[in-house]
Amino acid sequence: MASVNNSKNLRDSDIQKKIDHEIRMRDGACKLLAACSQRDQALEAAKSLLTCNTRIMAYMSELQRMKEAQVMQRVARRSDGTRSSDAGPMDDRLPCKGKVAISDLRIPLMWKDTEYFKNKGELHRCAVFCLLQVGGEIHDTDMVMVDRTLTDICFDNTIVFSEASPGFELRVELYSCCSEEDYSAGSAPRKLASKLSSSLGRSAGKKLRVAMDPGACSPTSNAGAATLLLPGPAVAGPKYHLLAHTSLSLSHVQDSFRTHDLSISGNEECSYWVPLYGSVCCRLAAQPHCMTQQMMSGCLKVKQLGGDPPSWTNVYGVLKGTNLFCYHRQEDMEANVEPAFTIAINKETRIRASEKDPHSKAQSICISNQYGGEEVTHTLSADSREETHRWMEAFWQQFCDMSQWKQCCDDLMKIELPSPRKPALVTSKQGSLYHEIVIDTSDDISTVTDILTRRMQELELRSQLGTSPPWMSLFEESPGGPRTPRLARHSPRSPHRLPHSPLSSLRCPWPGLLSSDASLTSDSDSPCSTSPCSRHRGWAEPLSLSSPRFRPRTLSLDAKLSTLRGRGYGGVLQCSCQPPSSSSLAPIPAQCVPQATLSCSSSTSSNSSSEGSHSPSSLDGTPFSRPSSARRSLRNLRAKLDPRNWLQSQV
Amino acid sequence: MSSFLSQLHFQLSCALQQRIEICKLRQGEHLILGFSIGGGIDQDPGQNPFSEDKSDKGIYVTRVTPGGPAEVAGLMMGDKVMQVNGWDMTMVTHDQARKRLTKKNEDIVRLLVTRKSLEQAVRHSMM
Repeated sequence: MASVNNSKNLRDSDIQKKIDHEIRMRDGACKLLAACSQRDQALEAAKSLLTCNTRIMAYMSELQRMKEAQVMQRVARRSDGTRSSDAGPMDDRLPCKGKVAISDLRIPLMWKDTEYFKNKGELHRCAVFCLLQVGGEIHDTDMVMVDRTLTDICFDNTIVFSEASPGFELRVELYSCCSEEDYSAGSAPRKLASKLSSSLGRSAGKKLRVAMDPGACSPTSNAGAATLLLPGPAVAGPKYHLLAHTSLSLSHVQDSFRTHDLSISGNEECSYWVPLYGSVCCRLAAQPHCMTQQMMSGCLKVKQLGGDPPSWTNVYGVLKGTNLFCYHRQEDMEANVEPAFTIAINKETRIRASEKDPHSKAQSICISNQYGGEEVTHTLSADSREETHRWMEAFWQQFCDMSQWKQCCDDLMKIELPSPRKPALVTSKQGSLYHEIVIDTSDDISTVTDILTRRMQELELRSQLGTSPPWMSLFEESPGGPRTPRLARHSPRSPHRLPHSPLSSLRCPWPGLLSSDASLTSDSDSPCSTSPCSRHRGWAEPLSLSSPRFRPRTLSLDAKLSTLRGRGYGGVLQCSCQPPSSSSLAPIPAQCVPQATLSCSSSTSSNSSSEGSHSPSSLDGTPFSRPSSARRSLRNLRAKLDPRNWLQSQV
Repeated sequence: MSSFLSQLHFQLSCALQQRIEICKLRQGEHLILGFSIGGGIDQDPGQNPFSEDKSDKGIYVTRVTPGGPAEVAGLMMGDKVMQVNGWDMTMVTHDQARKRLTKKNEDIVRLLVTRKSLEQAVRHSMM
């Protein structure tokens, strides 16, 4: 009983320390807000303030929940005199915890043409950031400035929650604040807030002390304190408002990008309004501990199939992930030598204990798997009954974990922590073509494509001369960047990169669009494919404008593009045997670029629905970077124009 | 005569199922099987030269490396891979298929393949 209370007190004091820490941070943020003069600093400080407040609220609720539980237990104990265990009934198996990581958050925007004509003069800008919460753990992303030149809000942060249970709820909240208000002007709501906080100062302080006291056991007073604690000292400065939120859980976890719906609060009249398309695209991955850690290890004997009397081999078994690795000796495992053999332990495995062997006293464990229609059974035996029991426990725990974590236990998902440095070629603005191209609203689609054609030709010449506008980096591959780790996965399989290409590795400033680009140097580029054209098949997809899988485009653009093609520019695409001349190649990017930009504005859903995995076969709408990076190689390798798209991989 | 023809037709529409056990060969860091695959639910089935039904999105063997482990085990070009070590391959993407064949911790893959063999169909109908 004493030990239970001690651990409780430990947790209490942990939380109180955290609350104290956050209160100190909050005070610091308030002081900074009051002192700073620059808008950017004020926005950052206001962001820290909001994060601290949210954290304090989360800790307070946790404290309250714990106190409530304490009270319930005391009541239960008093009533029936029996001692209730802390963790609940002993035969309930709890699944293991795991790491949950969310990364590459991207929120598409939907600007109307009228936006271009509002606010003469300066751009209307908002500062936005996201708060991500799992249980009591709250993280914030970096702040991003949003104005009408941006098509998507991208957060580059990868956020990892280390101890999440399979029933976790990841709450994503998008906060925004208009960055044009004059903060120093007095306003009625603020005066009211300051009056309230000063008049309730004394009672708030008293309740705060009560809340911090570990002896307090009345939930209601804590709840009161929690709400009064929140507004805190009245601060002048920018205030963030909740713009959108969503909740993600285990069913949303997948080893690739997915799109989720956002619930949007606020409307156009609010100063902090940013026109969201209504979805958020991100990669939510989970690594349950049962997949990454050794759950059980020990010496085992494995029965050799066949032979009478049966012989047993000694192995050192390690249960990790969906496998039981059997090494000859323990030293082999530590030395990272390959195991002697591996027994699969997955959802389809059946394990039972048997008493078959009359000679040995210990029970043996039979593990059955289906391999290609045949059932294969391994019989294992441990040194003693207790060992056997421990192994069975470990297997049952593994099954429990796998049933709770579901798709996370099929394969280990990669969680990458971003590299601290940023590549030099990253544009300071988050790359938008709107920025560079001047288009009058009176222009029709044909004029637009002509403008873009001319622009691309200009850029062709300019890049040949060595200067290129910042957004050209979208089409350039640069070393490093967050996509490199994924590329590395593919590179051993296809050491042949494009010859003559000055580009090294891919950089994707628009992760959703370009996710499948990472796999361009895929197996299909291997030299051993059958047909002569197959070597270049991997490049074929983006140029296949007639492919049914392409994103929806406006019909008028469609018509325009086909007339452009008909005029002979597209002739390069159809015939795979003609070496393309450089002049006829120039319009190709023009055909592809307007797809990307105009479809961005008309249907950003197509942007965000690029759910394809990073596989060589993912073909979903990525015309953006490929044609341009392929442009240079197209000039050199004519067979890359093969519009067929039926990948082959060598295994 | 008509019964023979209908029997022949029946045999022709059947495919031969084969179980192929391939022992992977270690080449440096990689374990290779020695064949290439094409197809997948995310690929264009019309381009598959080996399938009879041009809407078949299954995984087909497009090439077998001469002397490689797959050839030794009896795999042939044009075989349709139905299962790999118990995992279904008829409703997978191209990359999923590749992954299931190239698991690093598996030394042996047992494939269930179907093979359209006119010769054998005719032979069966004669018996």
